[in-house]
Amino acid sequence: MVCNKIALYCMRIVLAFTALSFFPATPIHSAPAIKAPVISLAGVEVAHYWGYWFVDKKTEPTKGKLPANVGAPLDLAFVLNIKNPNPYPVQLEELKFTVAFEDFELNTVNAYETMWIPGDKTNQVRVHAMFDVATSFLSLGATGGFQLQKKQVSAWDQLEKWWTGIQTFSFPVRVTNGTARFTSGVKGVISSFEGVYPPKASK
Amino acid sequence: MRLTTVRNWILAAVVVAAVIGFNPHTPYAAEEIVIGSLNDMTGATSDVGKDYAMGVAEAVAYVNETGGINGKKIKLYQFDYGYRIPEALTKYNLFKKFGARAVLGWGTGDTESLSPTITKDQIPYISASYSAHLTDPKKTPYNLFFATDYSTNARAAITAWFDKKWPQHKEYGKRKPRLVCSYMFASPYCSAPIKAIKDQAQLLGFDVGDDQDVSLLALDTKSQVLAMKQFQPDLVWHGNTTMSVAATLRDAYALSLGADHIINNWGIDENLPKLAGEAAEGAMGAAVCAFFGENVPMMKHIVEYAKKLNPGVPPEKRMIRTVQGWGAVLLAAEALRRADKAGGELTGQAILQKGFETLREFELGVGSAPVTFTAEDHRPAGKVPIYEWKGGKFNLVEQVDVKGRWPEKWQKEWLGW
Repeated sequence: MVCNKIALYCMRIVLAFTALSFFPATPIHSAPAIKAPVISLAGVEVAHYWGYWFVDKKTEPTKGKLPANVGAPLDLAFVLNIKNPNPYPVQLEELKFTVAFEDFELNTVNAYETMWIPGDKTNQVRVHAMFDVATSFLSLGATGGFQLQKKQVSAWDQLEKWWTGIQTFSFPVRVTNGTARFTSGVKGVISSFEGVYPPKASK
Repeated sequence: MRLTTVRNWILAAVVVAAVIGFNPHTPYAAEEIVIGSLNDMTGATSDVGKDYAMGVAEAVAYVNETGGINGKKIKLYQFDYGYRIPEALTKYNLFKKFGARAVLGWGTGDTESLSPTITKDQIPYISASYSAHLTDPKKTPYNLFFATDYSTNARAAITAWFDKKWPQHKEYGKRKPRLVCSYMFASPYCSAPIKAIKDQAQLLGFDVGDDQDVSLLALDTKSQVLAMKQFQPDLVWHGNTTMSVAATLRDAYALSLGADHIINNWGIDENLPKLAGEAAEGAMGAAVCAFFGENVPMMKHIVEYAKKLNPGVPPEKRMIRTVQGWGAVLLAAEALRRADKAGGELTGQAILQKGFETLREFELGVGSAPVTFTAEDHRPAGKVPIYEWKGGKFNLVEQVDVKGRWPEKWQKEWLGW
């Protein structure tokens, strides 16, 4: 009698497994396709500013030692609006974008902080991007050298123009190849975005 | 149906749900494997680094969406370090804080600087530096990469030129061929294979001229080309990245240097003919894997994920660097899968010994040579396809089997440099 009961339980478990196996990837509640949240550049701020300068690594510093050539840092904050067009909350999983001064790409920023965005609402996120004259000189040289040569502008002149002009945003700061990954907890979607600041600036 | 029967069915369903819920192989398993990725998206090698970084992120997404690491997802933290070694060390510490099981690294400088630390920490470090200095497990056990190393690539490129081009030269049989090297002396990446190049040149009977120092940012290399011209080289080896190699090819062409060119893998890609124009015609090099869009098993997915994850970058702007990023990720993923499947804790030592070092002639599907790692030898392969830019496309010149052609030297002499 006990053996029969055990056998019956086992059979039920096997049958339940079989039934579930027909729906291996079906989530607990079937969700409609998630609409991609819309990301737009609300603004760019100079978060911290140290002017324009460059120091060769051979220079003797007042304190400590120089690890390499160093240049003025520039901390820009990018404020992004993220609008969730879905009637349910979605979670931002990660976000990345490239920053170009005029047409020269200088930095790519990744942000891994997550947040939930309520249904039909807009959240704001602030992402900092750090630049410095020494690294930007290398980036400009490695990727934009021929472009600058064509413009007949030296990399140093171009950097000085940007580092001094950023206080008034006298040139366009572009956000390109922006992508962000979202999930509703069941389904995922990728949004792409771009922007330019000041908004009136164009190519 | 009696009440007890209903209760029993519910009980059975709960048991099944519990089993499924705890099964790590279900698609929604919560466990994640953290991997850090150091990339140069802003520094001196960003001309090739940005595309590589995109490839890494896209390959991780592919791995996660096709079963992950035996059901566990990879959580990737990818940071730019601007090719600054102090920042690489700092970011590495951040990866450790995140609990990274492995790190995808970038340049030779930071990889070699971090090598003692990762050895102490026992964290596998899969770099985009293919320096042969990282291939001897007695010295650098946790350094790995998927591609043939720079020294093997250079030996193969010199050999391919010697086999295929030199016999067609009008001076063939009358004198020794002449070689010079053009690279940035201060860059660990550029100078890594120099000793092997000189050794291979001697082996094949070359005369070797003075090395020429060319910055990675050089746009004008006329003085170096004029210095080369005094030696009248037949062959120039270029060790820089694409932009400065293009500048050198242009100046060599303009000043009628009259030599052929072989290029280390980070200097030969889809951008080279765009930047160097007709001066790139005939340039040869070790590509280490397929060019973007080439017909290899994984390319369908590589192109698909490039479009899906980075829709803002048109496919015609993507490069072989993307494919190299995939190579690194697919190698790491396979090692993680094997180590995880072997059971026990997924430590760095387990990933190395039960993962990487169990790979034998493993095909990654990205057009690279099949990889083998043993506890004694971390050179992934010894066969190197050498390509030539000719008639608007890259053509295979020869697949040089460096290991097969000089088995004794490969085995006893060449490991680790």
